[in-house]
Amino acid sequence: MASTSKNIPSTANPENVTDDIEPGACTDSILNPTDSFEEFASEMSSSLEERNTLAAKSSTISEIQSEIGESSKETLRETKSSDNLQSKDDSISGSASSSNLTEQNGEDTECERDEYLRSPELVNKEKHVFILSSAGKPIYSRYGNEDKLAGLCGVIQALVSVVEEQNQDILRSISTKDCKAIFLVKGPLILVAVSKSNESETQLVLQLTYAFNQIVSVLTLTQLNRIFEQRRNYDLRRLLSGAERLIDHLLIFMEKDPAFLLGAVRCLPLPEKARENITNAITSTCSKIRDLVFAILIAGNQLITLVRMKKYTLHPSDIHLLFNLVRSSESFKTAESWTPICLPKFDATGFLHGHVSYISEDCQACLLLLTVQRDAFFPLSQAKHTIAEKLRRSNCLVAINDALNRNKELPTTNPLKHIGIPEIRHFMYKCKSTAQLFTSDPISLDRLQDYRLRHKEGGDITEKKIEKLSDIDYVRNYRKFCSQIHCSSTPAKLIFRSNSENTVLAWVTNGFELYVTFDALMEKDHAIRAVDRLLHWIKKEEERIFIMHAPTF
Amino acid sequence: MIDIKNKVNSFFIFNSTFGPKEGDELKRILFYHPSQVTQDARKIQVGLCEAVVKFMTTFSTEPCEALQTQSKRYIFYQPEKDYWMVLVVRIPYATKAATTSNEKKEVIEPSVMQDFLMSAYKMFRMFIGPMKDIPTEDIYNNCEQFFTPYIMSRSIANDINNVIQGISYLPLEKNSFFRVVCFIDLLEINYPDFKCVSFVYNDKLIWNGLTTDDMLTLYQYLVQTLLPKQVEKEIQGGAVTAAQRHGRFISPPEGIRNADDLQKLHKVYLMREEDTETKQYYLVIYRTLSATVCFTVDVTTNLSIDTFRSLDAFIGPQLSTIASSISEQCALHALQSTQLSNTDHSFIYFNRLNLAYKTSAPSSSLTPSTAIKPEVLSIIAGIHSDRKSLGNYGEIIIKTPDEYWVTGKSSNDREFYVIIQEKNANLKDIADEVRRICEDQMKGIFFYPM
Repeated sequence: MASTSKNIPSTANPENVTDDIEPGACTDSILNPTDSFEEFASEMSSSLEERNTLAAKSSTISEIQSEIGESSKETLRETKSSDNLQSKDDSISGSASSSNLTEQNGEDTECERDEYLRSPELVNKEKHVFILSSAGKPIYSRYGNEDKLAGLCGVIQALVSVVEEQNQDILRSISTKDCKAIFLVKGPLILVAVSKSNESETQLVLQLTYAFNQIVSVLTLTQLNRIFEQRRNYDLRRLLSGAERLIDHLLIFMEKDPAFLLGAVRCLPLPEKARENITNAITSTCSKIRDLVFAILIAGNQLITLVRMKKYTLHPSDIHLLFNLVRSSESFKTAESWTPICLPKFDATGFLHGHVSYISEDCQACLLLLTVQRDAFFPLSQAKHTIAEKLRRSNCLVAINDALNRNKELPTTNPLKHIGIPEIRHFMYKCKSTAQLFTSDPISLDRLQDYRLRHKEGGDITEKKIEKLSDIDYVRNYRKFCSQIHCSSTPAKLIFRSNSENTVLAWVTNGFELYVTFDALMEKDHAIRAVDRLLHWIKKEEERIFIMHAPTF
Repeated sequence: MIDIKNKVNSFFIFNSTFGPKEGDELKRILFYHPSQVTQDARKIQVGLCEAVVKFMTTFSTEPCEALQTQSKRYIFYQPEKDYWMVLVVRIPYATKAATTSNEKKEVIEPSVMQDFLMSAYKMFRMFIGPMKDIPTEDIYNNCEQFFTPYIMSRSIANDINNVIQGISYLPLEKNSFFRVVCFIDLLEINYPDFKCVSFVYNDKLIWNGLTTDDMLTLYQYLVQTLLPKQVEKEIQGGAVTAAQRHGRFISPPEGIRNADDLQKLHKVYLMREEDTETKQYYLVIYRTLSATVCFTVDVTTNLSIDTFRSLDAFIGPQLSTIASSISEQCALHALQSTQLSNTDHSFIYFNRLNLAYKTSAPSSSLTPSTAIKPEVLSIIAGIHSDRKSLGNYGEIIIKTPDEYWVTGKSSNDREFYVIIQEKNANLKDIADEVRRICEDQMKGIFFYPM
């Protein structure tokens, strides 16, 4: 047995383990562990009237500003004033908001639309995502050219409005045997996913919500609403140039990283001491900077540490957007950047200002310093250099690089080998109270690139015989289990499925969620023993795998 | 029957090619239930469905199956090209909100709704014929006359019999079975125009001469529509009891007493086991005691009342002897099985090849089973409709928050489900218990993995 913790009784009954062992659990969480599934439920039960007024809650940012005392009355003006939108926009005419379907798809447009949709750049894609304004104007399409999709967007808009106006209802989804179309109306936008993947409706709605949040993160909800209040017909693409790329990357990211599936954040496994040093370096340097809200160090889509202002926490989905921003922006690698960032869960109404930079040329960790102060670049830049220097001196950069390069010496690099349970092929574990996850095979940076390259070629559905499953394939396989576990009407606590290909155990308790893939036709008692050892190992390594403290400035 | 009024919002059939021009939208609607809905409301509903079907053709070659809105679920079925049947049920999209508000709303499985539409169509095709063969001027009437009573008489509640639609077979010891077969052979030799297509005892099937698909439809007609009415009549009417002993024709309902009655015989579209295509037949149904026998006669045959009288004289006494011997055997068997099954766990067995179905819950539609919780049923429906995930052989065990363990096993085309409520069990205990039940109940049927 790999288990060394003596206070935990070893037991062959998974049900009994629950009370004693919840690896990674701690009372003080750096993240807001609200379940994205609960949010989904509340969102989806909203009525038609409630939904149309996408009212933002009171601004957290102005709250912070007033607390700091220097609420310099300047409201967070957006970079682009909406006034100069007016002039540019007069040429755009023609409301696509005809509620009559038959009028909408007159014969001509319909033929064109169908032809374009059958063209090689659009046909046979596993998942389409379309974003349009509630007036039916195309804003984003994952594949193809939005301009040529105006006809399709008109039809989508007409469908949505017919259901709303004539049936006093909200359109949610349409499905055929092999394909689902999911509709989400958020404020002035309509988001649609058309998917042939095995993702459930809930999972797809969450992805659309992320895509919406990505737009909010660039514009803020206040500005988004105001633009469309002023001009219902506005072509939002002119404000979103650059954001398309972010959405593209986000969609790929969501398809492969289980962090989205579980609503959790992946942490970079580090020795407890190293993480403590890093955190101390940040707190000691930044404690004097009053209006700093968050200091976040990330590497390879993994969180290294997060130091926050007392009272305020970040939601995993905001962190995912930051991961996506950093990963998608090559420019951060070359220079220190100063950029406005709206974190929709934290405060959708305004921007935080972020100093974003990589720690050093020889370490791919990226430091984000988020403040409510719009002209704090220089103090933050100085803080960053001090932090980088401290990290180098305390050898933390080496520790980060070791973890990133998955040094073979580290127990977390190949946990299954380290524990010695060959019958387990793959696992993923989420600690619910801290919203953090750990998987047996963390997707490394270069693999991610690789996936992106492969994805660029395709996005097409291919029937290929898989010889060796990659971690992405395992995660795909878990989607169904995940959606059944979180099914709102018939949830499950435990699923054990065994067929000729593999055996999968999905198990949720008050403290954690665990998904394990075993060899095919696994005996139940063997599986129980293996899971038991796995949990003990995670418990033993929890200080390394997870962030167990929630430091503040 | 009360269920349907509460839950079915509407049921309609449309064909867009029937009124291609604007203004002709009403012609596209072949049938609409409930009838009190205004024409405008009908147009709106059908218009939406047409648009949705069209929208999905841009992305998929498969026909549209479902539309979900905040408050309703629409299930689509296209039995023949351009003919669409749609069932609309009130189902809140986020069911979590519904469950927290004390009143637990029962959610109807989409697969149950899909099966409901398929059964309705197959029944229509059996008694009226394929839709495309019906002249346009008749189809509105035909649909009205068939579907109105059909939909009023049926419930689509989540019941185990609706989740898995199968046929209960009656296992007989070999001598009794041979007597049934000999009786059928003798009859078909003496009356070559008559082919026996089914032999049913109570609500269990003993002999089948149809393709499995048609058998299920005929079986459902017998067990869900015809026989419950007969049984009711038999219980009420003292006068008929004497006649019962000798048997009688029960379709047409008044029996066959003179040549005029022959005109009332149902014509049905069926495919017999030896047929290569669906043909039209007269359907003759004869019943003695609890045994019901169905015959088909080619529609080209000249029917004479004398043949039917002589048939009655031939079948009556023989069938009543067979029926009583089966009844004795059933009583004996029932006694044995009560001794055997000391298990209080529910199980369901289903074989996709012959649709054989066996359950510990009462399988008759006359006594709906309340034994299985809706959540559990919905899990079983999920396993049943997702065949791929278990493959040719596999096993799944699911534990619900209220301590139900649902086990599903699949082995080629056979499926076996066990429901166990056990608070302090673990996977291994459940698997052992399932194995025990499987061995007890399904002697000789091989399940892998064990």
